[in-house]
Amino acid sequence: MDKTKTIDIPSLLNSLHTRREFLTLFGKGLGYTALAATLPACGGGGGDDTEPPAPVDQIPVASKEYTTLKRTSFGVHRDELETINNMGIDAYLEQQLDHLSINDGNLESSLKSLFPLAFQTPTQLYAGFPENITDTYHDVISATQYRQIFSKRQLYEVMVEFWSDHFNIHLLNGLGPTLKPTDDLQVIRANALGNFQNLLQASASSPSMLFYLDNFFNQASAPNENYARELMELHTLGVDGGYTETDIKEVARCFTGWSIRFPNDPNGNYGDFIFNPLIHDNDEKTILGNTIAAGGGQTDGTQVLNILATHPSTAQFIARKLCIRFISDQPDQSTIDTVAQAFITSNGEIIDTLRALFSTNAFRNTSDQKLCRPSEYLAGMIRALAPDTDYPSDTGALFILAQSILGQLPFNWATPDGYPDTQSYWENTGGLLNRWRLSFLSYSSVGTIPIIDVFQIDYSAMLNGADTLLTMVDALSDRILMRPLADKDRELLLDWLTTETGQSDSTPLPAVTVDQLTPLIAAVLLSSAYYQLR
Amino acid sequence: MTNNQNILICIFQRGAADGLNALVPYGDPEYYNKRPAIAVAKPGNLNGAIDLDGFYGMHPALAPLKSIYDAGELAMVHATGVPHGSRSHFSAQDLVERGITDKFSLNTGWLGRHLAQDNNAITSAFRIVSISGNVPVVLEGAEEPLALSDIESFSFDQGIIDAGYPSILADLFRTPLPFSNTAQSALSALDELSTAKPGDIKPDNGALYPTTPLGKKLKQAGQLIKSTLPVEVICLDSDGWDHHESLPGFIQQSLSDLANAVDAFYTDMGTNMQKITLLIHTEFGRRVAENGSLGTDHGTGSLAYVLGGGVNGGQVFSQWPGLRDQDLEMNEDLKITTDLRTIQSEILDKRLGGIDVNTVFPDFTYSPLGLFT
Repeated sequence: MDKTKTIDIPSLLNSLHTRREFLTLFGKGLGYTALAATLPACGGGGGDDTEPPAPVDQIPVASKEYTTLKRTSFGVHRDELETINNMGIDAYLEQQLDHLSINDGNLESSLKSLFPLAFQTPTQLYAGFPENITDTYHDVISATQYRQIFSKRQLYEVMVEFWSDHFNIHLLNGLGPTLKPTDDLQVIRANALGNFQNLLQASASSPSMLFYLDNFFNQASAPNENYARELMELHTLGVDGGYTETDIKEVARCFTGWSIRFPNDPNGNYGDFIFNPLIHDNDEKTILGNTIAAGGGQTDGTQVLNILATHPSTAQFIARKLCIRFISDQPDQSTIDTVAQAFITSNGEIIDTLRALFSTNAFRNTSDQKLCRPSEYLAGMIRALAPDTDYPSDTGALFILAQSILGQLPFNWATPDGYPDTQSYWENTGGLLNRWRLSFLSYSSVGTIPIIDVFQIDYSAMLNGADTLLTMVDALSDRILMRPLADKDRELLLDWLTTETGQSDSTPLPAVTVDQLTPLIAAVLLSSAYYQLR
Repeated sequence: MTNNQNILICIFQRGAADGLNALVPYGDPEYYNKRPAIAVAKPGNLNGAIDLDGFYGMHPALAPLKSIYDAGELAMVHATGVPHGSRSHFSAQDLVERGITDKFSLNTGWLGRHLAQDNNAITSAFRIVSISGNVPVVLEGAEEPLALSDIESFSFDQGIIDAGYPSILADLFRTPLPFSNTAQSALSALDELSTAKPGDIKPDNGALYPTTPLGKKLKQAGQLIKSTLPVEVICLDSDGWDHHESLPGFIQQSLSDLANAVDAFYTDMGTNMQKITLLIHTEFGRRVAENGSLGTDHGTGSLAYVLGGGVNGGQVFSQWPGLRDQDLEMNEDLKITTDLRTIQSEILDKRLGGIDVNTVFPDFTYSPLGLFT
């Protein structure tokens, strides 16, 4: 695993952001006096509801197009919903799989100027190390979050996140801040929709990985097994994939001498991969029944990677994880087999594997199978509100703060297994409470994490003239949830609002009240299960 | 209202904590043969172990625990673990938390099973607390454990409450809609917290908690215990024990953090400690022989600590298996001579009240070590 120094996120954030003063405000709310002041005194409320309850109390199923977007993006965006409704699901997914065909505007060039450290080489980053750790952390996380929110290549970004978890590296780990940005660009992003074998080879020789899992120390005289074990358990075969403790030792021997160039090496650039034959174990090894002949040098490792990448256990392991990502926490074996077969047949082509997954009955005909993760929750809130704005330059720390509260800050999972993607991990009291608070604090008019200000979200456009509680609830649920609201939930929302305001649900409200209520209703919708299901 | 329920606090050392450099078997010459570069020196030497009984010595970073040991309220159990045979962190943590050796046998945690069968009349959301962002496997099977990473931020801002947000959330997350149990539990926890205000409780007796994650978690455990909330079980993690390289430096930091945090907690609790049992353990130990990076790879047996009221402390419980090659598990690991479930069973039996331990550990027969007086 790691040898992490623990970083105190809140103090890091405080030191990181000097331009705005909101960072200490979370947890010390301003009080909701502004709303109260604009409202008439409470009195009565709208008549009690005496209609019989709906026969089945459940959340109505969303459209297949909505479900497809929810699963293959960081949250449904109204423009993309329109696109998939027009194109059809098949054509939409094909376009997403061919991610370079999608015009992403000036996103990457904007990121380069907004977050330059996310694009620097190890040598460049080392020149400012360790003073630049906080800035590097800020830039590399912000670039990731911006792509999740703004990129039109949403499936690609979902797969970037998937592989970042699969080949997890903790950023704040020794020299990690100087190395991980390059791994992100050249290993993960370069291969996220490419070929698994290439991805695995790139990861194995990535200085960031060699450092994180200690292989840079691995030498013939006394091997270090850390990378060898996680390579088989987490990157390829899976823990039940059929390897033994002896295989781990043999794989560790194969990777002896795979190391990195250290700072101030006169023979080359810091952070380059090197193979050091002097500390490589050149004797014969046996891996999963395959003989690695003596004298193979660096090819020992590449042979191991080939054996592992093409092993049937790897196909099963990757297929299962993909099904858990795109379908449900308990995918059925026949679906996994279909995906695994495509992985094998295509020699690990990720696009072909995903295409097979997207054609399964389980993907096409189920929905709302699990709780979305915090990254989708956070990026999705912006996407749902679809701000009509350029990329703001002053929100990086805001998103970092929000995501550190939600608990899925990119590159911040310490152990090599990556963030879990199961509901049992994410569904808990503290997690749900933090999502509720965040939607309120970010989007209400008194929020202390004013994402709403930064993005200049235009609520009035969403309302489209609605000025009664009834029309406001309808307009906002249509616009923000983009899926049908149960009659019962609509009634409950109206009951709440009529009680809070003392107005009937059909009385036109003064503009100032509409302005105060709109973000509050938006926050409640974003807190609801409607929004949180994937 | 005071809470007289006995309380169990479990600290899981994630990452496979080395037991051999924490409780040093300095009387076994093989220890120095197999760890020539990373061993802790014998007592009396520079940075040497703190002698306990002529055979074992504490790592010097554990010094703050020595007075608790001497007061008879800390017992240490060496060469312990769950004999699951896995050297994978993730599988092993899972198996240890379930208290099983065969992954297919039970899908609940050992504490979860205990709490489910000992379903006492307490209906508080604070009966079972995980001080972290998630509910650990060990609590699976228990009714709605609370996950809370920070007491202070586990609240609604007044503005949210004034806007009637909790009541509309209670409506929207009604049974049987998705996440309703979790949501209702969060809402009632908020209610209880707003009355009990544990975040306002200050450490007593001059206790100084380290500002590390572990220090902060134990401080909050102390606040919950001293509040009126009827807490019964608290789980928390100590992270970062996977010392494949440069073990001497890293374990110095980790043990020092552990000892300082536990010492502060012990000081803070004062007489409350009489109703508390603190159990500290890991998923497996580390290889006896050092590797080429001044670290150790994954192993088997390790160390557990039991602190608190009624502990028959001031002693090391162990049948020392020896460190010669032929004494070792797979010829390289410290053998497990005391099953960790023995310790856990004894805690349930003696401290948490007359429960049928065999239902908690159905595949395991327990005979007490005598950890409690």
